[in-house]
Amino acid sequence: MDRSRRNFCLGAGAAAVGAAALAAPPADAAAARKGGDPANRWAMVVDVRKCVGCQACTVACIMENAVPANSFRTIVSTYEVTEGGRAGTAMLPRLCNHCEDAPCLPVCPTGATFQRRDGIVVVDNTVCVGCGYCVQACPYDARFINHETRTADKCTFCVHRVDAGLLPACVETCVGGARIFGDLNDPGSTVSRLVRTQAPKVLKPGQGTDPRVFYIGLDPNLEGKVEGTPTLWRPSARPHAHAPAAKEHA
Amino acid sequence: MDTNIVEVINVTREVAWLPWAVQYFFLIGLSVGGVLLSLPGYAFAREEWRATGRVALLVALTCGLAAPVALLSDLHQPGRFWHFYVVFRPTSWMWWGSLIIPFYVAGLLVYAWTCLREELREHGAVDSRLAPLYRLAAAGGGRNDALIRAAGLVALAGAAAVVLYTGAEVAVVRARPLWNTPFLPVQFALTALAGAAGLVLILNRFAGADRAVEVRVNRVLAATLAAVMAVGGLWLALGLSGIEPTHAEALGSVVGSEAWRVTAVWAVAATAVPFAIALARPSGTGLLTGLIAVHSAWMFRWTVFIGGQSVPKTGAGFYEYALPAGPDGLLGIAGTAGLWLFLLLVITAIVPTPRRPASGPVRAAPAAGRAVAAAE
Ligand code: SF4
Ligand code: SF4
Repeated sequence: MDRSRRNFCLGAGAAAVGAAALAAPPADAAAARKGGDPANRWAMVVDVRKCVGCQACTVACIMENAVPANSFRTIVSTYEVTEGGRAGTAMLPRLCNHCEDAPCLPVCPTGATFQRRDGIVVVDNTVCVGCGYCVQACPYDARFINHETRTADKCTFCVHRVDAGLLPACVETCVGGARIFGDLNDPGSTVSRLVRTQAPKVLKPGQGTDPRVFYIGLDPNLEGKVEGTPTLWRPSARPHAHAPAAKEHA
Repeated sequence: MDTNIVEVINVTREVAWLPWAVQYFFLIGLSVGGVLLSLPGYAFAREEWRATGRVALLVALTCGLAAPVALLSDLHQPGRFWHFYVVFRPTSWMWWGSLIIPFYVAGLLVYAWTCLREELREHGAVDSRLAPLYRLAAAGGGRNDALIRAAGLVALAGAAAVVLYTGAEVAVVRARPLWNTPFLPVQFALTALAGAAGLVLILNRFAGADRAVEVRVNRVLAATLAAVMAVGGLWLALGLSGIEPTHAEALGSVVGSEAWRVTAVWAVAATAVPFAIALARPSGTGLLTGLIAVHSAWMFRWTVFIGGQSVPKTGAGFYEYALPAGPDGLLGIAGTAGLWLFLLLVITAIVPTPRRPASGPVRAAPAAGRAVAAAE
């Protein structure tokens, strides 16, 4: 994404005007942040109308971050939604929301999970004891225990790439241009403009987590825990008996 | 508008808190319950509770020593447990737990020592090769009610801290509606007491089958189970009425599931049946009510932890859980049970349960009582 890449050059040092509508983090939470450049507030806008559900981002993330088999830092949840007799497919790329008020942070008993001053939530897997408390606390099922490192794992916005001035792998690879990454502290960035003008939604706003991954065109039915027939195919799940029955609802 | 959604692709998240965690919460709860049941007889020197207290102490000790092992095993990086102790993380209940557990276990050991000291001294008076060791362990003293009471109160403080932290740790998880209820800590505490009473009844059956103990503890069990049912009923009523959105949400997340409905019926039966038996026939039924009560306390934790984690936070339906055969599953459960049994054998070998300690002052009991071991 060219425009997102350009934001990277503009991002540093820009004033925090664009994010005026977004709540600031709680004071104590902000004080506990470390690392990263406070001049930036990284965020992602996902335009689900542009997502074709190809899972290229899912694969790119796995390759970039050496995510073990059957684990996912991001995945494109795919739903068949029938409304008023019309059926359609809805895509919902899911990842860590890098919440402004992230419930995964205070529960961590070792401080392995922390938020950088640029908003990215990371896990220091040399400190993490793998207690799994953060996995429980995240309202988005964004976290999991990595079986190879035996520590908590999740999307980092590809922090190693961002620090090197690159886009996250999923954004770089997105064929539909649905994932847009940038700096909310830069009022001229694409993400700032989209957040300002498109009134994007976030997932589970009722949890008060203040996510920094925004969605344009999100079906309200998919905003929280989805009420529907469970998945036909799930990575890491064994084939199960409900599958044929589920199909009939489509 | 009529909306129908079929989830075609989504991720399955595995449980992050393994059956080890179920074992931990079960054992530490039973241990706390054991401490509570031992207090009247020991810390408050009520002689009619003494024999009950003796068995309860065994429950508190065996479960209290096995529990931290299960907890450590639940960490995916158990070798890093010391990471808890080099940071200050007061926002995390688990961090508080890492301080409370050693405090509780240490307090429990000291309390148990003060309680068992007179028995140790008696064993030291017998002409045997181990006598000097017993005399050493008794540290030249016998029954000291003031000391027992002081240690008992410290153990009680530790037990209260354990109840508070284990309950709060789970109840604060807002992301899981089933856990995020102020009822949960109360339910943990009550089911723990019921489970401890159950284990006392079982051990009592194998250590002389003291009828007085059986009747007394069956009554405690009945009262506790009544409280369990009352709290459970209140939770259900709040959920059904919709007055409390959290409870309604919690109920809503599982109400449509056949498996959860079966579990609910099972849970009610496993509470109501021992309640009715213990109430109607407190004598002669201890083994039965005890077994059901222990099973029920364990099932409650299994349902909360493993069942609770099978409810997806964003996806449709439920995650599937199949108990693995290895250390993360069956082997872990069996291993903890084995450890508990081992501790029981070791402790009862060192300080065998006195055969008839109920009537009369225990200090007068003949040292010959030592010949009988509880679980043998
Ligand atoms: S989405 Fe989950 S893991 Fe990511 S910051 Fe928010 S609470 Fe933490
Ligand atoms: S699993 Fe690791 S990062 Fe998560 S709460 Fe435990 S110690 Fe912290």
